[in-house]
Amino acid sequence: MAEGRKRENYLGIKGWVRAGRYGLERYLYFLQRLTGFGLIIYLLIHLYETSFRLRGEVTWEGVMGLFDQPVFAVLEYVVMAAFIFHALNGLRLVIEELGFALGKPRRPVYPYETSLQRQRPFMWAIGVLIIVFLVVSLYDFLV
Amino acid sequence: MREAHFWLLQLVTGLVLIVLLGLHMIVIHLETILGFLGLGAGGAVAYASVMERAASSPWTWFYIIFLALALYHGLYGLRTIILELTLSRTASTVVTVLLVIVGIAAFSFGTYVTWQAYAG
Ligand code: HEM
Repeated sequence: MAEGRKRENYLGIKGWVRAGRYGLERYLYFLQRLTGFGLIIYLLIHLYETSFRLRGEVTWEGVMGLFDQPVFAVLEYVVMAAFIFHALNGLRLVIEELGFALGKPRRPVYPYETSLQRQRPFMWAIGVLIIVFLVVSLYDFLV
Repeated sequence: MREAHFWLLQLVTGLVLIVLLGLHMIVIHLETILGFLGLGAGGAVAYASVMERAASSPWTWFYIIFLALALYHGLYGLRTIILELTLSRTASTVVTVLLVIVGIAAFSFGTYVTWQAYAG
């Protein structure tokens, strides 16, 4: 960088989205980022929006009234879904990045398994859990 | 603290947020499911309900701690995303300082509002 040379294989902003031929986990990590980014931006807006509780009941109900539309009901579910994905996938990431969920040690036999492959059953288990939570909360939003 | 420690703190705050944010989402959004469990159902964002939580000390502490952890975790994450562009040393420092300022400003604002709603 210091020399200002063109850096080989440097993707820059494209690298945020492009996962190339890496596995499913790489795409899940992209989603982890996307949902994380969405949540922090939402948090900042939410902080402002909820500050209207200081202005008394009329103002508060007025602000809440603005959100009383189908579009916002859908957006509310999107935030819920982002949270569910980010929290559960995040739990998996913490466990896996710290080196757990690798299974019992085995003798390495060719073709060798990567840690990603060994952690894959855990990924699927979390995946199922995410889907269950998404469905249950969707049910709650619909009734 | 070294970089690895800040990262570890992001993971730890993430784990704590599962509990705090999980509770927050259930209380505010999942009214039907709370109803099944026989717990106070309906109208979590009605003014009376909001102010009832605002006037309680446990909820006030809950919100302040929750805010601090979520801001740390989220803004540190945002920093990771931006620094992945491998900026120059100076630019990285500028990004870090700006995000720290955003964090402190947002925390002060949120704590001020929470405290006003509690004491006022
Ligand atoms: C609900 C509990 C949560 C858990 C378990 C969790 C966990 C995680 C984990 C494990 C990562 C990846 C870190 C890494 O591998 O380096 C991550 C990234 C991120 N999280 Fe969370 N998180 C949670 C809530 C939140 C919230 C509430 C926000 C926003 C305020 C947020 C914003 C972010 C952002 C922006 C990233 C991207 C960082 C990156 O790409 O390295 N997270 N989270």
